[in-house]
Amino acid sequence: MLEGTIVDLVPFEDDYATYLKQWMNEESWFRARPFDRREPHTEHDVKKFIEDMEKSDHGQLIGFQAKNGDPIGGLLYDHEWTRVRKAAAIFFVGDMRYEGSDEVLDGLLMLLRYSFETRGMHRMDASVLAFDETRLDAYRRAGFVHEGTLRQHVRWDAAYVDLHMLGLLESEWPGYAQIAPTLGLQASDLEPKPKPEPEKKDEKKDK
Amino acid sequence: MLEGTIVDLVPYGDRVKDLDYGWLNNESSFWGAGGDRRFVSRAAHNTRWEQWIESPDRDRSAEIGFAIQTKAGQIIGYVGVTWLNHTHRLALLGEKIGDPAYWSRGYGSDALMLLTDYVFDWLDMRKAWALTTSMNARVMRMMEKLGYTFEGRNREGTLADGQRFDWLYYGILREEWPGYAVKAAELGFTGRTE
Repeated sequence: MLEGTIVDLVPFEDDYATYLKQWMNEESWFRARPFDRREPHTEHDVKKFIEDMEKSDHGQLIGFQAKNGDPIGGLLYDHEWTRVRKAAAIFFVGDMRYEGSDEVLDGLLMLLRYSFETRGMHRMDASVLAFDETRLDAYRRAGFVHEGTLRQHVRWDAAYVDLHMLGLLESEWPGYAQIAPTLGLQASDLEPKPKPEPEKKDEKKDK
Repeated sequence: MLEGTIVDLVPYGDRVKDLDYGWLNNESSFWGAGGDRRFVSRAAHNTRWEQWIESPDRDRSAEIGFAIQTKAGQIIGYVGVTWLNHTHRLALLGEKIGDPAYWSRGYGSDALMLLTDYVFDWLDMRKAWALTTSMNARVMRMMEKLGYTFEGRNREGTLADGQRFDWLYYGILREEWPGYAVKAAELGFTGRTE
């Protein structure tokens, strides 16, 4: 576990895998991964995604949760390019009650802390659909710089929309301990969700 | 297959495979890979071709490659779609003139004009885009000459000989592309021979 101000980063354990079946079909997922095709994700897709990330030498799938243990969503440290020391910083909000909250911002800050202060990255990449002010605001508050806009780059709901390209350099990152206190992070204090039911074992095997 | 003014785009083959071994180990790779330098053995090169280019399992829906051949029949590099995204109708293009003797002489431009035409007229893509680095003035000039718009940069996104450089993004929309014949004429390619 890596402890932040109002969220903690944790391994993507069983509860997260259960939640992900729902999260991978929600709006925040598709906004976080704008090149993915908009299509239903089955249990098989979810399992494969988690397995692929666990096997990846260039990425990590990390859960982030409120201080009361309530899972909020996922952080993707992805596409690490070792020679150049850069990677992508992606977050998705699973529990939409937290959309636009300081918990999400703290999750992103903690991902950057991990990227710069643990993995030793030189720069982090991000991209945001141009209409998605909420995501853009989180990246901006975390210090990302707008580096360009790829015109009409993504097909989205009957239109071709622009994609903003963002970046944050190691030299621009003040350090988590320095930036977090300046942002006045406030916990939402939401009631935790009920825990998901444990997976039922295949009963046929016993028959 | 695709006929230009000073080059044609043709299928890969053993001739390309042989030449590519040299290109992977020369300066063209440094420029093409944004500053990387590889030491590729003949055996590693053969394995790469077997497992990637010649593999029956290769996903041909996502990438398309051509060899670039001069009108005199010399293979000088390759050009292609490195990522074809049908949902967004996007084609990410890549090109390498492996033989430095053919740099800055219009061969790369002719090949890229043919490919741009191809992704719009044959593949029905809506946008073509490509990347280069801020150290590559030759490619920056070519992209602007061909009508691509500079859309953004990935600051300090690569490392070359100890210095940081940016990746630069260029894009062109279907309605901005006048077609091979018009663009080639505009650039003085029409009727030009080796």
